Amino acid sequence: MSFQLMVYFNLILLLIGVFGIFYSRDIISVFVSLQFIIFSGFINFLGFSRFLYQNSLWDKIFIISGVTVMYFLMFCIIYYLYLNQGVLSRKKLYEEFKIFRMTRDNWWGEDDK
Amino acid sequence: MDFLFKLSEKVNPFQSIIVLSIAILILSFFAVSKNKAIKKYLIALASVSLLIAFLLNIHSYVLSGNFSNFLIFFGNVQMLEIGIIIFSAMNVLFFISVYRETEDSFVKELILFIFLVICAEFIIISKNFLLMFTALSIFILTIFQLVSIVNSNVDKIVMHVLRFFLRPTLTVIFFFFGFSLLYGATDFKDFNQILESEYISNPIVVLSLIILGIALYLYFFLFPLQGPYMKMIKRNSLAANAVIWFFYFPVGIFLFLKLGSLYGYFIEKNSVYLYSILIIVTCGCMLAGNIGAISTKSLRRITSFLFLFFISTFLFNISIYSTGIISVYSMNLFNFINIFLILFSFMPLYSIFSSVEKNTGEDNIRNIRGLGRNNIYAGVNMAVMLLSWLGLIYYLEPFMKFFNRTDFLNMGAINIVILIVFVICFIFLFINILRIFISIFRRATGETSNKVLFPKFLYVYITFFSIVIIITSVMILLRKLGVDIAFMNFSVTEFIF
Repeated sequence: MSFQLMVYFNLILLLIGVFGIFYSRDIISVFVSLQFIIFSGFINFLGFSRFLYQNSLWDKIFIISGVTVMYFLMFCIIYYLYLNQGVLSRKKLYEEFKIFRMTRDNWWGEDDK
Repeated sequence: MDFLFKLSEKVNPFQSIIVLSIAILILSFFAVSKNKAIKKYLIALASVSLLIAFLLNIHSYVLSGNFSNFLIFFGNVQMLEIGIIIFSAMNVLFFISVYRETEDSFVKELILFIFLVICAEFIIISKNFLLMFTALSIFILTIFQLVSIVNSNVDKIVMHVLRFFLRPTLTVIFFFFGFSLLYGATDFKDFNQILESEYISNPIVVLSLIILGIALYLYFFLFPLQGPYMKMIKRNSLAANAVIWFFYFPVGIFLFLKLGSLYGYFIEKNSVYLYSILIIVTCGCMLAGNIGAISTKSLRRITSFLFLFFISTFLFNISIYSTGIISVYSMNLFNFINIFLILFSFMPLYSIFSSVEKNTGEDNIRNIRGLGRNNIYAGVNMAVMLLSWLGLIYYLEPFMKFFNRTDFLNMGAINIVILIVFVICFIFLFINILRIFISIFRRATGETSNKVLFPKFLYVYITFFSIVIIITSVMILLRKLGVDIAFMNFSVTEFIF
């Protein structure tokens, strides 16, 4: 695998992740999109370490600690959601969910819904 | 005694973190306790540990000055920032104690809260990307746990908490990606090394800075992405709002200041794209914050919109720095004054607003109508705080810079645009504060303001802040009049960075 191929592959992963965040239809899609960006960063670290910096140790420590914390954060959010939803209302997970949704009440008037 | 001094030198500059860790250890023995007396004792313990941490933070800097190693850097700015965070923590502890003391999970909330303070300290002193990233992630994780545990009305809030915390999660992930690019482009592990190297203008470094900038934009919920923040604040418990306002945002500001030197390099180059984006974002945030506050009757929404306005004031300072109106020294000074303004005016005002809401059970500006007439002492204190909130002295300084003939003529049209937006925003802010002021001193129509009974400790709390505000104002005015009032090498109108 060449360095150039790694960079292109990594760029595609990042773009899929960013695209997924903007056009996601439900919460699960958002989390999957986040995973794409995490993997993109992950490949960056490993690739740069292998091709440019003779397999340094620092980036491996970064990857282990970073990925552990990020996945734990995402796990906590999902767990909180599951814990506080009844079995029937878990359908919300498959309802339309946009992370950057803008409505009028975000900046004008009251928000009593 | 010698043993203690030697120990203190060995653990420098982590004394404050160690004190807080010991407090956590003691608190964890009582984690399941529901006894009222024990809860009171634990509140006192947490307060004392925060106070000792505050003093030790200053002591460790006075004792050995700057400290630096592979992972951390502790200097005068870090000492000041940690001091602000611990002071803020004492106030948030006050809010948590007032609103959550009767709950069974109170001690656990206290433990989580002190963990949060430690994470914030690590973010501030971190130098290496590894520590910075890990501390930021754990900070967001802990703040999420605290906010979710503090909200008892789960049914209404769950989706809003989810929407809110997906943004900081995205911030963390973008930081991970940004750091990976920085590592690839430079093999350096901290911002200072990058700044001093020839890699600074490398396109990959610029790309990673753009990604980190987007991450911070998402973190602050700036216009037009403020939706989840507004919705969560409206439905949150009162203690959780205090955590978000007085902990989540200040730490974000310090994180941004950490990146400031790198952004400063590009800002000093007077990049047209950079300052155009900055000015557009600043104008949007400032106008939206103020206009949004005028259009609502909800006290929570008014305060959260105005908070957004104060956050965008940081961007405003950076914008006027980017166009060359002020120096980097003035920008740092204004940023720190803005933080003080937020903490010293917002906190006591929020304590009164939250008390009013708790008494009346409703979040509406009409509930504070006649408050100043029925309770003159609280009314006078609120008047002092609102005047401070308006921040007259702080705002006069940029105004004077604008009217400095040389700067004004040199910069041309862009300067006039900023000036016009700034004047409009200031008028809107004035209207917003006048609206609250009039509501407080208007004749009450119903029995709403009679319902409001303040506990005694709240009087002590607001009096403390009023005295601090009055003393600071007098000192600044004397300084402006040319009277030297600096004591112990400390002056309220000067910081040395």
